[in-house]
Amino acid sequence: MAAPVKPSVLRMLGRDLGGALSLGMVVLIVLAAILAPWLSPRDPYETDLLAIMQPPSAEYWLGTDGQGRDILARMLFGLRVTLLMGLASLLAGGVLGALIGFCAAFYRRADGLLMRFMDILLSFPAILFGLALAAIFGPGEVSVVIALSIATVPLMARIVRGSALVVMGLDYIEAARAIGMSDGRLIWRHLAPNCLSAIFVFSTLRLGQVILLGSALSFLGLGAQPPLAELGAMAAQGRNFLFIAPHISVIPSLGIFVIVLAFNLLGDALRDALDPRLRI
Amino acid sequence: MIRHGVQRLLLALPVLFGVLLIGFLLMQVVPTDPATVRAGPQATAEVVAAIRTELGLDEPVWKQFFLYVWRLAQGDLGVSIINNVPVSQELGNTIGPTLELMFAALVWSIPLGIALGTVAAYLRGSFVDRVVMAISVAGVSVPVFFLGLLLIWLVGFQWQLLPFTGRGGPLWTMDGLLAIILPAITLGGVFVGPVARMTRSAVVDALQAEHVRTARAKGLGEGAVVRRHALRNALIPVVTLIGLQIGFLLGGAVVTETIFSWPGVGRLAVGAILSADFPMAQGTIIVLSAGFIIINLVVDLLYGALDPRVRG
Repeated sequence: MAAPVKPSVLRMLGRDLGGALSLGMVVLIVLAAILAPWLSPRDPYETDLLAIMQPPSAEYWLGTDGQGRDILARMLFGLRVTLLMGLASLLAGGVLGALIGFCAAFYRRADGLLMRFMDILLSFPAILFGLALAAIFGPGEVSVVIALSIATVPLMARIVRGSALVVMGLDYIEAARAIGMSDGRLIWRHLAPNCLSAIFVFSTLRLGQVILLGSALSFLGLGAQPPLAELGAMAAQGRNFLFIAPHISVIPSLGIFVIVLAFNLLGDALRDALDPRLRI
Repeated sequence: MIRHGVQRLLLALPVLFGVLLIGFLLMQVVPTDPATVRAGPQATAEVVAAIRTELGLDEPVWKQFFLYVWRLAQGDLGVSIINNVPVSQELGNTIGPTLELMFAALVWSIPLGIALGTVAAYLRGSFVDRVVMAISVAGVSVPVFFLGLLLIWLVGFQWQLLPFTGRGGPLWTMDGLLAIILPAITLGGVFVGPVARMTRSAVVDALQAEHVRTARAKGLGEGAVVRRHALRNALIPVVTLIGLQIGFLLGGAVVTETIFSWPGVGRLAVGAILSADFPMAQGTIIVLSAGFIIINLVVDLLYGALDPRVRG
């Protein structure tokens, strides 16, 4: 998803307060995930039975959970798992979806069949794929990633097909064809780069949604399994102590909220910056 | 109109076939032998063999598939591994509560979302508009379980205002009504945002249409212009989008049912998967999928009925 973020886009994002704030938040979130081993005050799996369910304090900034594990440490490492699950689903589903979208736009004969199939996939909610995959392969991160990838394919295919069709009608595609460029090269050199801004905007928004869905599946016990630190699974474990120590589930839940909000705001701001026609 | 309907119906058939096939494959990959399971732990080898023959497990796979579809058509979804209750019976008990919960969530969130979206579109660019859009983006970003846990902790536990575990009874009783409030707020809470957003953009478009200018020019009051001329036209796409978003609502329903111990299909499905109760998991997934095919079909047909342009 290496889209060339032109300086002008960054400047436009900077001019918009929401855009600048959300970009800052996303950068901080990604940095925190990358630097987790260095930022973390303790081992996220180290239990201390003498310090269970501690509220936030100077020693434990975000408190401890039901087994005396440091919540800040688990949040930082959990962020990695949550983001990686989201990125993996987006990448796998996005690449396949984009390929299908390009093919549908380029080979008009395959269009009808491909897009009908995409419509069928689209008619099922992601959570249902999550349930089915967890039933087949057993609960776990892999099942969640496969399910969310499948749910992403038809969305990406639609976006890519739509913007590729616009490009296909332009003169220079005709010109490239006239000089005898091969199909693959034409798609890669001319079609794909001109669809990048649409792909980029969609990917940002979709990453937020995928993270939200993945954490919900983990919350249900169908995704990341304890003791693995993952935000949704942490919230689910904290649920058992809701009335004694609400912070154990509130902090990870709030974390997911902030992450998804940041990606959604950034996606909206990017759309406004890259495609002013869509701004209303 | 009839042609549109028949076309849609024919398109739904291969999808249904796909769902059935996936349900069938689900039972093929699981490690347990359905005959041993159905026979129970004390059964002798002869009894298991007899059940194998009865279930057709010795037949070739394609024949088994037809047998399975045949049994499904008769409402036989197998028996739970965990408590030996027929899957169809459990499903019959849980579909009602799930529909009840979804209805209770939609009945307040759709009108509120449409109202907020319309006001935001009318006052486009104002402070009110910005607040509505902020609520809407927060609504699509908040995890359902966060909203649910906060409500349980605050309203249920701290203030002791409302019950938060299970279904209190039928909706027309006081207990039933009180018990559904928190789950309905949780589930509907994540739906207001998307509805408001879709309504806003549709009404913004509609307000720029020429017939709206004409309506204003002939001296109609602003209320009538917005309600009768802009909103009514905007509602067609909004209704369709809401229909297609029901899937989004189902995802929320599964989580909501789990945190509020609501005895619905979603909670049943999750419980079955977690306890490796394969026949139950298969049954819930088939029923939920079939539900989706039906919802999509109905939305499609409604769209055709509402907007004559679609039929061509």
